[in-house]
Amino acid sequence: MPSPVKLGLNVLWSTCWTGFPIKVGICLLFMALGLIHFETRIGLAFLMYLASPVTVFAMPILAMVAEPHLGEGAGIALLFLICIPIDIWATGVVAKTLFLEKLRLEPQEGLGMSLWLKTALVGALFMPILWVVVGFATETSISLSHGLFETEMLKAVPVAEKIGIELTLWGGASTTVLIVMMLLGVSLVGRVIRSAAQSAAPASGDYQALVTRWDLMRVPADQGLMLTATTLVGLVLSMLFWSGLPVSTPHPHECCKKPEVKAAPLYKPVDTLNKAEKHVAQLAAQVEAIEKQKAEEEAAKDKDKGKAGKAKPADAKAPVKAPATP
Amino acid sequence: MQQTPSSSTELTALEKVIAFVDERVGLKTIQAKMLNEPVPGGSRWAYVFGSILLFIFIMQAVTGILLMFYYVPTADHAFASTQYIIHEVDYGWFLLSYHFWGSTAMVVCVFAHMSQVFLWGAYKSPRELIWLVGLALFGIVMGFGFTGYLLPWDQRAYWATTVGVEIMDKTPVIGDFMARFLKGGAIPGQMTLSRFFVVHVMILPAALMGLAGLHIFLFRAAGPAGPFRGTPEEIKAKTDYFFPRQIWKDIVGMITVFFTICALAFWEPVVLLEEATPDPGDYHPEPEWYFLFLFQLLRLKMFGGEFGQFLGAMALPGAFMALLAALPFIDKDPERNIFKRPIALIGWIVVMAMILLFTVAAIINREFLD
Repeated sequence: MPSPVKLGLNVLWSTCWTGFPIKVGICLLFMALGLIHFETRIGLAFLMYLASPVTVFAMPILAMVAEPHLGEGAGIALLFLICIPIDIWATGVVAKTLFLEKLRLEPQEGLGMSLWLKTALVGALFMPILWVVVGFATETSISLSHGLFETEMLKAVPVAEKIGIELTLWGGASTTVLIVMMLLGVSLVGRVIRSAAQSAAPASGDYQALVTRWDLMRVPADQGLMLTATTLVGLVLSMLFWSGLPVSTPHPHECCKKPEVKAAPLYKPVDTLNKAEKHVAQLAAQVEAIEKQKAEEEAAKDKDKGKAGKAKPADAKAPVKAPATP
Repeated sequence: MQQTPSSSTELTALEKVIAFVDERVGLKTIQAKMLNEPVPGGSRWAYVFGSILLFIFIMQAVTGILLMFYYVPTADHAFASTQYIIHEVDYGWFLLSYHFWGSTAMVVCVFAHMSQVFLWGAYKSPRELIWLVGLALFGIVMGFGFTGYLLPWDQRAYWATTVGVEIMDKTPVIGDFMARFLKGGAIPGQMTLSRFFVVHVMILPAALMGLAGLHIFLFRAAGPAGPFRGTPEEIKAKTDYFFPRQIWKDIVGMITVFFTICALAFWEPVVLLEEATPDPGDYHPEPEWYFLFLFQLLRLKMFGGEFGQFLGAMALPGAFMALLAALPFIDKDPERNIFKRPIALIGWIVVMAMILLFTVAAIINREFLD
């Protein structure tokens, strides 16, 4: 039987990567829906997500106890929840492969589920300890290396050298502690796998038959259905992507900001026609009134002319008052 | 007795076209050669990087051609046309950002691919030529990054190129010629832009296509190296054909990379700085992230001065590349298991740690300068 570290590494490394393509697809979808934000601690969030078979229960504990800000957006919790069935499947496939090929043992029914549960529990207990220990080692080594360069003897060290040496000192110390702690955690997971292996019966069949067995675990029962479903999901996602993608940049440069355009009032043809009709009727009434007034004035003028022509012909050059406008 | 063909054996239009082409070019033989390649030890996720690189290159070519419809490679229009692509062309910002992040993905995948080949011991006999051509391809990918960085013609582009060309100038014998050839004048200007553009869109793609073809040909001639662990019987039992399992893994890898680049382009799109001027102002010149470690190395006092700059910028990287090229001829031990090659394993860890360390140091230094 291989050592617990080897067993743990064999299962954990492959499990993390087996589920990864599916998990990363869901993660991108969540980001597109705005449930998760692309934030500065994306590297840490990525590692936690990649190692979700171990961190799934540890994540909420860490968020409560040690580090409240592990990722932005409400989708993080949902993302880790959706990971669970994927991780159970991935743990099952990888562990069964290990049992059949390397250990030549018959994997028990529900091996994936039981191993995932135990691994996640080990992670929930161990990850906060790892977090605290590595955090303490990092903080201490940073302050020590800073303090070292505050001494008179090393104050004259140029900036680039100072940064490089400081980084090497605290980075080296913190990485060593991290590796030691991770090996410890992996060995704990390895012990869980070993205990499951000890109760397993030897597998029957030659090596080729065992390889065929684990190989077929990775082949979907209905390949046509799987291919059709994948293509359809791809098509829907592509359409959603292109329909949601802004045509012009969401981050305009200072030099190229587009002027704000005020929206024109909504055009209502019936209202406009009615309004125009009223306006025309009003104008027509005005024109009619003017014409009527003009005619009356003309008539009055003619009457006056007739009277004046008879009485005073010399007043004919007197100025005529303009008619009052309506 | 002659039998009349039944309706079920009659060929469809598509089958007739395939038969027509097959008769003339041997389509089925090519298909069999391409898909029925045995993969010793079976398909693996570790083998996907070569196919992913080919996919990224095709996507870079497609997005690059689309960008060329609008980009004007002149000193007085390069910046404006890039801004036009970002602000006016439909989805132009996305294409440019995809092209930008695609180049980063290409560098990451080249590092991953080279690391996989190195750790698997796949450069050893009879695959020395594949390794050498791969190194040349690595140089071309870096050249793509360096020449493409200037094209938007903003302050970042201008000054990164100025620093890069000055570093090149430190090379003895050919350095001065190379720097003058690339700059085409006393300071970077129209000639520089034209030359970088030609190198970026004509010379490097042609070289990459030729060498990538040769790389694949040599790979198919020598065959995949397979896993470094396991007895010959175990490897034989697990051996599979390229189709369908490895192709499936490759496709999943390509889709993952495609959507990751799309996500990066969407959430971190390219935003230009001010238009390039010969006055850096408050801007601290800096190359692209994958050259940052080298840039930080040159900030060390031991690499100050003319000779120091040459040592840090040209001699050390040159010697490292020469060592990589000579590796299959120095390391003739047939052992491929990385856990039984301690020097190779420690060497790889040290190189990766150094690159990481100097890159992070450059980022901290940037904050210090700001």
